[in-house]
Amino acid sequence: MKVAALLFVYSLKRARTFVITTGLLLAALQLVLIFVGGAIQSSGGFDQLSAIIPPFARELLGPSVTVVMSFGGIVCMGYFELAVMGALIAVAVTLATVPAGEVEIGFMDLILARPLARHWIITRTVALTTLVTVAMVALMVGGTWTGLWLFAPPAVAWPSSTLINSLAINVGVLTLSWGGVAMAIGAASSRRSVAGGAAGLLALATFLLDYVARLWQPAEKIAWLSPFRYYNPFDLITGNALPLKNLVVLGTIAIAGFVAAYILFARRDISH
Amino acid sequence: MAPLSICGLTKRYGSVLAVNNLSLDVIQGEILGFLGLNGAGKTTSIRILLDLLRPDSGNAFILGHDCQSDGLRARLNIGYLPGEMGIYSDLTGREVLDLLAGLNGRVIDKARRRELQDRLEFPESDLRRRLREYSTGMKRKLGLIQAFQTDPMLLILDEPTEGLDPLMQESFYKLLVDVKQRGRTIFMSSHVLSEVERVCDRIALVRKGELVLLSGLEELRKLAARPVRVLFSDDVPAAAGLSAGTEVIETTPRSWNLKIVGPLGPLLRAIATLPVRDIEVEEAKLEDVILKYYRDGGR
Repeated sequence: MKVAALLFVYSLKRARTFVITTGLLLAALQLVLIFVGGAIQSSGGFDQLSAIIPPFARELLGPSVTVVMSFGGIVCMGYFELAVMGALIAVAVTLATVPAGEVEIGFMDLILARPLARHWIITRTVALTTLVTVAMVALMVGGTWTGLWLFAPPAVAWPSSTLINSLAINVGVLTLSWGGVAMAIGAASSRRSVAGGAAGLLALATFLLDYVARLWQPAEKIAWLSPFRYYNPFDLITGNALPLKNLVVLGTIAIAGFVAAYILFARRDISH
Repeated sequence: MAPLSICGLTKRYGSVLAVNNLSLDVIQGEILGFLGLNGAGKTTSIRILLDLLRPDSGNAFILGHDCQSDGLRARLNIGYLPGEMGIYSDLTGREVLDLLAGLNGRVIDKARRRELQDRLEFPESDLRRRLREYSTGMKRKLGLIQAFQTDPMLLILDEPTEGLDPLMQESFYKLLVDVKQRGRTIFMSSHVLSEVERVCDRIALVRKGELVLLSGLEELRKLAARPVRVLFSDDVPAAAGLSAGTEVIETTPRSWNLKIVGPLGPLLRAIATLPVRDIEVEEAKLEDVILKYYRDGGR
């Protein structure tokens, strides 16, 4: 246990610059969004923006579009904007594929030549991915409240803490689910780029599947396969409660990925 | 109990038989050279010992513990030097040594590490540098220090002198002898026959995954042909009818160049009546025997 803790600390130390930089950028993005949202709100720009949306687009996107075209909507965008989700998932995939990288360069040989059970390698990676995901999302939430405190116009209503927390929890668990998928792939791989690339492509494909299914009815039948289906920020913004089902499905994907990683890594040959 | 015991180890990669029914015991306190050409199965065997690879059949035991089913205890008291040091280049030498020592779960004797640094000429200032600034030789020295720093009972070294300059090789050989004298056991793969000849007590030679030779160096030398040159003060007939084990390389009226396996007695008897001026006997070249095993498994 002590030895595994040492490995965890070492891994965290190696990842710290990358993680802190990404976390601070994500937090800063929340500040920027709130600053911009505040400026638009103060100039009355949201009404003008809503007015120029064509009716067909309004029909296609549903009531969520008007919700997003508000100060609260802009604040919440920091939790579902494509770049934000991409960055969170990229960080999770990067950390989840650390074992594949260690196998690739041969460092795993030196680690496992010590009296350290293989499951500790995966436990370390699960802990690292989970901790960093939580820290990233916490930084984003911190950025949101700091931004609101600094830049929100005086008379405007802030999004509720329940809404912010729901978005943060949902996007966090979505990120962890991709961490689980990447970890399972990485546990069986000897090339980090292959593992990361496969997980990234899978994320892109399932994101597109979910996106297409929202616009094209036939794709709806298989859209349940996409983890992104279980993160619907517009539902949350329009006042619905965070569905427990979403968290259960995403959490199950994450756990299934972690379990698969334990099994695959325990059984594989370590060769680079 | 042998510090290292391998029993019928077999490992396949698809249709390729990497290791085939390998069995050998390493004796306490010896240096066993593990030889073979590239792809002979040396590294695969070593990786099985470390439970990095899983054998298709057979077992290996380190200090009495099965390398697969009881791998943690098997690896508790070993030092390992891989063929290539795979380390993140953004770490310093000290960070590497501290991390790897910590992963052993044992407290490192700082004096021991310092002694190793001194012997391998690896100053503190080098330990503070990042690995990206290290030369191949420095990485090798760092690898040796990490393998030896816990003073393990068994050392498994894969091509230990690869990348070391001659002076460092010399220091390494002395280190090996010291470690051996303290009762430690060393299992090392090598391509360098002169190195094997110099430091090893026995050699195990693998060819196409099979053990084709397991022998002490002294016994092996007896198998090797010694070059013998006999010089005469007068003309003599061409060498002929000499004992079995004698190969005639070249004869002139006043000299015979021979290669002899085994004792020189029969030759001395054969030339007793001839006008011998001098006899030059060179030491047997281990290389000749080993190369023969490399080529055809000793057949």
